[in-house]
Amino acid sequence: MSAIDIKNLTVKAGAKTLVNDVTLSVEAGTWLTIIGPNGAGKTSLVETVAGIRKIDAGSIAISGEDIRGLSERERARLVALVPQNPLVPGGMSVRDYVALGRTAYHGMLRAPSAGDRAIVDSVIERLSLQEFAKRNVATLSGGERQRMVLARTLAQSTMVVVLDEPITGLDLRHQMDLLELLKKEVADCGLTVLATLHDLTLAGQFADRLVLLDHAQVVLDGPARDVIRNAELASRYGMQLRVVDVDGADVVVPVRS
Amino acid sequence: MTVVSIVTLICLLLAVFCGLVVGPTSIGTSRIIGSLFAHLGIGHSTLDTMQTTIVWQLRAPRLVLGLLSGAMLAVAGGTYQGVFRNPLADPYLLGVAAGAGLGATFAIMDVGHAVSTPTWTPLIAFAGAMLAVGCTWLIGGRGMSSNASTLVLAGVAVAALLTSAQTFLQQQASANSIARVYIWLLGSLASASWSSVNLALPYVLVCITICVLCGQALDVMSVGEDEARSLGLPVRRVRTLVIIASSLGTAAIVSVVGLIGFVGIIVPHIVRLVVGTSYRRILPISVVVGAAFLVFADTIARTAVSPSELPLGVITALVGAPVFVLVLSIRRTQQ
Repeated sequence: MSAIDIKNLTVKAGAKTLVNDVTLSVEAGTWLTIIGPNGAGKTSLVETVAGIRKIDAGSIAISGEDIRGLSERERARLVALVPQNPLVPGGMSVRDYVALGRTAYHGMLRAPSAGDRAIVDSVIERLSLQEFAKRNVATLSGGERQRMVLARTLAQSTMVVVLDEPITGLDLRHQMDLLELLKKEVADCGLTVLATLHDLTLAGQFADRLVLLDHAQVVLDGPARDVIRNAELASRYGMQLRVVDVDGADVVVPVRS
Repeated sequence: MTVVSIVTLICLLLAVFCGLVVGPTSIGTSRIIGSLFAHLGIGHSTLDTMQTTIVWQLRAPRLVLGLLSGAMLAVAGGTYQGVFRNPLADPYLLGVAAGAGLGATFAIMDVGHAVSTPTWTPLIAFAGAMLAVGCTWLIGGRGMSSNASTLVLAGVAVAALLTSAQTFLQQQASANSIARVYIWLLGSLASASWSSVNLALPYVLVCITICVLCGQALDVMSVGEDEARSLGLPVRRVRTLVIIASSLGTAAIVSVVGLIGFVGIIVPHIVRLVVGTSYRRILPISVVVGAAFLVFADTIARTAVSPSELPLGVITALVGAPVFVLVLSIRRTQQ
């Protein structure tokens, strides 16, 4: 069964069409990354899957459930989001921040239960955040912060995780670290990942499948290697790209014309 | 956390003590306590009729109304700061003050020749306050783009409009009415009675309970409305609920005591400094601290230049502003 099933999805903001008749599905336990130039509609697409944008036409089903028929709480138990620019509320401790991921389970009137706290602790341990647990979230570095946001997302205990540019602003090592952590979750827990990335090399190395989005529509959809090596890719970005094989991994290099 | 709770409760008890015992007529503490127990059916009161009236018809309702007002304004301010994620938000943000001011001015002017402020002023002020919040809600909530800042801007516009209408009305008034409108605008507990307590009590109790219960939800909303929704919080419902509760409670208070500024801003900020940023802790502690703060301020207001009284709003600002500056500088050094 598909973990994410998007059928003829259209999303608009006023007169502008952000996502235009997009159909795609993601198999459970796989990683799909959406690539494409700025303004292609990547963020709108993933935000709609995460339920924070309105669907204008078409449908999205997560684990077989149409998300339009679900309450916020029910939906948050199926899909979690790492937003492009997470808002980090200064003064809150890292543990309290990660515990926000349990909101959909304990409800809005009650504090996290012992069970919730146990899950939060185990996620903190899995992502090696123990030493930061009591720290003020405002004092973390960019890399630590993204790891904390990922921890909150995993604490949501969903089988589907949506990430919008999760490695923006991180140095190379922290980019790799974060993506490796996520890859491990996919392998260990059967997590389904839908992500957007700008870095084509990393996109190709971590995803099982790539989808190229341009002008709000799907242009290419296929195994990572095929999409990376498709000539259409460069033309959509309006530039020259060369794909180099480095020890079996595809590296995408921009070339000055 | 327990230490903070104990300290704040001691402050509250001290405030209650001040409210009942301190005053121009000196009545022994033990005799007041004796009378208190007599009311509970234990022992006999040793107060004479005059003293009983002073304690139970003047000081007690004034104390209770002070506690209710301080608690409500503080918790409403804290709630607004959470729901609008704006540290400057106060309970009057959505036009409650301007609406109540217009209502009160209208009521006072309507009987311009009377010697005192009409007894139905609170009702008209309450109606004005609710009308103002209703307008803000309609203007800012239209289209329901789920944007909190639109609501704040609508509040500014509504407040400006109603304040100008109020100023215009006031221009037309007699000198006598202008003075009374002015006194009303400054806020005072001087006219407190059991009937004004009864008027505000049901609203205030329900509204404070709702605000405090929503502390957990406000913590989730501190990551922004979109993220809060992705975490499973019904953001729109929570926002509607806490805004209605805060506005309704504030309107009930404003209509009986007038405009008392600063409590809603400084109390939550002071509490935040001590207990951290979680609204689950800030809101209940603010209820207690706000109640105690306002009763202390009122004790100063009614005793500093006895037998006449200072406006309560003047005291809250006079004490509040320097404390607020201190809080800000402490916060800066902490950061």
